[in-house]
Amino acid sequence: MRFARILTVLFASLAAAAAVTAQEPFVFSPQWTAQAQFAGYYAALEMGFYHEEGLDVRIVHPFHFQTPEQTLISGECDAATIQLMQAMELVDSGTPLVNILQTSMNNATVIVSRRGNPLERRGARVGTWKAGFNQIAFCLDKAERLNYNWVRVAANVNLFVQGAIDATLAMSYNEYNLLLQAGAEITEENVYRFRDHGYNIQDDGVYMTLAAYRRHKDRAERFARASRRGWEWVADHPREALALVMEYVSKNLVATNEVLQKLMLDEILDLQLDPDSGQRSFTLRPDMVRQASGMMLEAGLISRPVEYEELIPR
Amino acid sequence: MPLLNRFRRSLPARLGIWIVLFAAMIFIAALGYMFSVSWNTVRNEAESQASQKLHNTVLRVNDILDDVKISADNTDWLVYRHLDEPEYMFDLVRNVMLNNPILNGCSIAFEPFFFKEKGRYFSAYGYFEDGSVQVEQEGNEQYQYHYMDWYLQPKLLNQPCWTEPYIDVDVSDGTASTITSYCKPLTAQDGSFAGVLSVDISLSWLSETLSAVKPYPHSYCIMVGRGGAYLVHPDTTKLLSQTIFTDTLLEPNPEITALGKAMLRGEKGMKKLKVNGSNSYVFYEPEKETGWSVALVCPEKDIFGGFNRLRRTVIAIVLLGLLLMLFVCRRVINREMDPLRRLVRQADLISTGDFKEPLPDSGRSDEIGQLTQSFSNMQHSLVNYIDELKRTTASRERIEGELRIAREIQMAMVPRVFPPFPERSDIDLFAAMTPAKEVGGDLYDYFIQDEVLYFCIGDVSGKGIPGSLLMAVSRNLFRVVAKPGLAPDQIARQINETVAEDNEQMMFMTMFFGRIDLQTGRMDYCNCGHNPPVLIDGGKARFLDVKPNTPLGVDPQWAFEGESLADVRGQAFLFYTDGLNEAENPAHEQFGTGRMLDVLGGSAFRSAREAVRRMTDAVTAFVDGAEASDDLTLLCLKIRKS
Repeated sequence: MRFARILTVLFASLAAAAAVTAQEPFVFSPQWTAQAQFAGYYAALEMGFYHEEGLDVRIVHPFHFQTPEQTLISGECDAATIQLMQAMELVDSGTPLVNILQTSMNNATVIVSRRGNPLERRGARVGTWKAGFNQIAFCLDKAERLNYNWVRVAANVNLFVQGAIDATLAMSYNEYNLLLQAGAEITEENVYRFRDHGYNIQDDGVYMTLAAYRRHKDRAERFARASRRGWEWVADHPREALALVMEYVSKNLVATNEVLQKLMLDEILDLQLDPDSGQRSFTLRPDMVRQASGMMLEAGLISRPVEYEELIPR
Repeated sequence: MPLLNRFRRSLPARLGIWIVLFAAMIFIAALGYMFSVSWNTVRNEAESQASQKLHNTVLRVNDILDDVKISADNTDWLVYRHLDEPEYMFDLVRNVMLNNPILNGCSIAFEPFFFKEKGRYFSAYGYFEDGSVQVEQEGNEQYQYHYMDWYLQPKLLNQPCWTEPYIDVDVSDGTASTITSYCKPLTAQDGSFAGVLSVDISLSWLSETLSAVKPYPHSYCIMVGRGGAYLVHPDTTKLLSQTIFTDTLLEPNPEITALGKAMLRGEKGMKKLKVNGSNSYVFYEPEKETGWSVALVCPEKDIFGGFNRLRRTVIAIVLLGLLLMLFVCRRVINREMDPLRRLVRQADLISTGDFKEPLPDSGRSDEIGQLTQSFSNMQHSLVNYIDELKRTTASRERIEGELRIAREIQMAMVPRVFPPFPERSDIDLFAAMTPAKEVGGDLYDYFIQDEVLYFCIGDVSGKGIPGSLLMAVSRNLFRVVAKPGLAPDQIARQINETVAEDNEQMMFMTMFFGRIDLQTGRMDYCNCGHNPPVLIDGGKARFLDVKPNTPLGVDPQWAFEGESLADVRGQAFLFYTDGLNEAENPAHEQFGTGRMLDVLGGSAFRSAREAVRRMTDAVTAFVDGAEASDDLTLLCLKIRKS
């Protein structure tokens, strides 16, 4: 528990640093700790793509109980990665957001059950992240009347291993591999992949508040352009990209390993391929926004339809 | 190939190789058994030793974790007693820390708004800093402990539990330590969940304890949590960042996976598998308190290091010993064989005819000495034998020469000029005699006196010189005794009396005497135990029916009976000795009387000579080169009408 005290000190110092130089640097906040999920941004920074666009980008990872939307709304960062459904929830709640770059073209959420088909375990105790990323699971819960007992956790793998929860949400690029690494028995039977069952909603995109975007439209476009270059470079140089990722996780004291990061990078790059064209288009799909809006309305997660046009830059 | 040939020819080389091969087989069998038994012993010993060390280690770990657990168990009753005094919780954690210096921290955390005045977060947390206990309230928006494992796990399981270890990083000095917590759920008076009492302990002592367990130079301990995460590992970069399964995610390794699963299931055992490329024995045992598992990895080369060194040394010694044995064997055998070799050289000389060459004196009494002595004896015997042989050969040559002369004399005793009576056209007579040895025991004779033809044919018992002498005597007796007016049976009787008298050698002879009156054609004859003659008449051959009587020389008083044929003119007779009908071929079949009749009766012959030649050819063809066992005499006689 001493961890909490240390985190508090660290967070305060970094936030202060960001505030002092807010006018000049472009502060970007990925939604999780350093990992291959954000390899494209590391590459854009390290390969000088941001610099070529005239940007002084600072990548600031959040801590456990800090969400990207908080830092975005508070102005602690200029842009942040947010999942599409989470962004739509924010827009519905009155925070207009602009999607300046869409990296994910497929949904990565899975449910892993300790035994049996997750959809047959009604009322089960299912772990979900305290930080969010669970809107699509809530939609499924509602639609299928699963009546899951959601348990919000900071990290879910240990609780799953210890048997404290019956099932858990997981990202196919992260927790799924962590569970495998913990020796969990995962078969086709006890895994539910949302993308395979009509729930293929795009995940990660880079968002700015509408206000910030209007103020710094040019910087936003340059950041999106350089970030896209970064991801394309990663796709072309996965080995070098993995080395970069390992530098970042080491610098950020993340307890992970190269195997996990390689698996994550491979999966992330695969999720970036458009399910129809098979290309890396980096664009938000209106059909997925429409589908997500319908599902969230039905599940009661939003009070009104959120349109594609509300999310794209104007 | 020259080497192979040399090996084949050299007895010492062959003997040496066989001895060494045999010794090598014995060594292989003995060492194989010894190595097998030793290997099993070493393995069992290692298994026992490693298992015991591992078990002791697990017990030590368990003892320490038990102390931590007891510290919590001794505290919760105080929490319950002061559930309405939140400030007391700070004093309590301070006391817990002071009373349990092994702890790294202690917290008593409550559900949101359990103490309404304390708000969402209330967690009394005590820890050591600079040697003194610090106490503070640790929950806030940046540290929402309600979502942490240590809080959720006892809450959800509703029972005390150990958390999976986690890394505690002190950013101020960059140090990190691995922490685990023993957590107990707290229950409010109304039975609802109130919060969690947890005590933390740094696992640095765990690494130190397990690192000290080193039964072999390169053996090491690992410890994994319930999720397989490394809690202790010699490669500290893996601690809590990798699990026992990490490497199998990219490259499946069923052995490691099986080990990991067995450890996670809390099993105790041993597996042999490849760890980092080297064969190792992994002993594992669970720590019951936490569900973690400790494994002791012992490289096979370490366990069997001493055994392998001993094995290599023994094998080297055996190989060297075998080579030395081969060398010594060859030297010894060579030395022992040297007299034999000299003996061989001398024998070679002797074989060239130099019998006087002296044999080497080995001066030994063993088999080789005896062989030399035997060879020397043999040499002397050989020299004597050869001298004797020379003498015998000379004597034999002389006797053979004499026998040749005797044969000529014997052959000269019987008439050999044919036709015997060229002036007489009524007599067609031809005879041939072939002795089985240089001189034989057969005889025949004939002469005419006063228009009477006397003839005889006989076979003396025994051959060679004795037979020939009796034959000569008998022939002379026939010439002397056969006089006009004396019938063949009288001739036989007189000769019998003469031969039987003083017959100390018990020799006898069969004879056929005949007398033909050339005027009338009457033939008187007396058969003395001889083969009956063949009568050829009108192209048909048959044996003449004769009285056998007895051979001459057997019984001096024997009354020989004669017989007669009224007129034998126009008829032919073949007289013969048993060398004809008893002639044997290589298969020891006899020529037999049947073949004789076939030869003579098959077709007409123009003369006695032709009849004898035909019979001789037939018997020669029949015996097919087999050595004759008896003399062969044929006499063919035909009286033509005037």
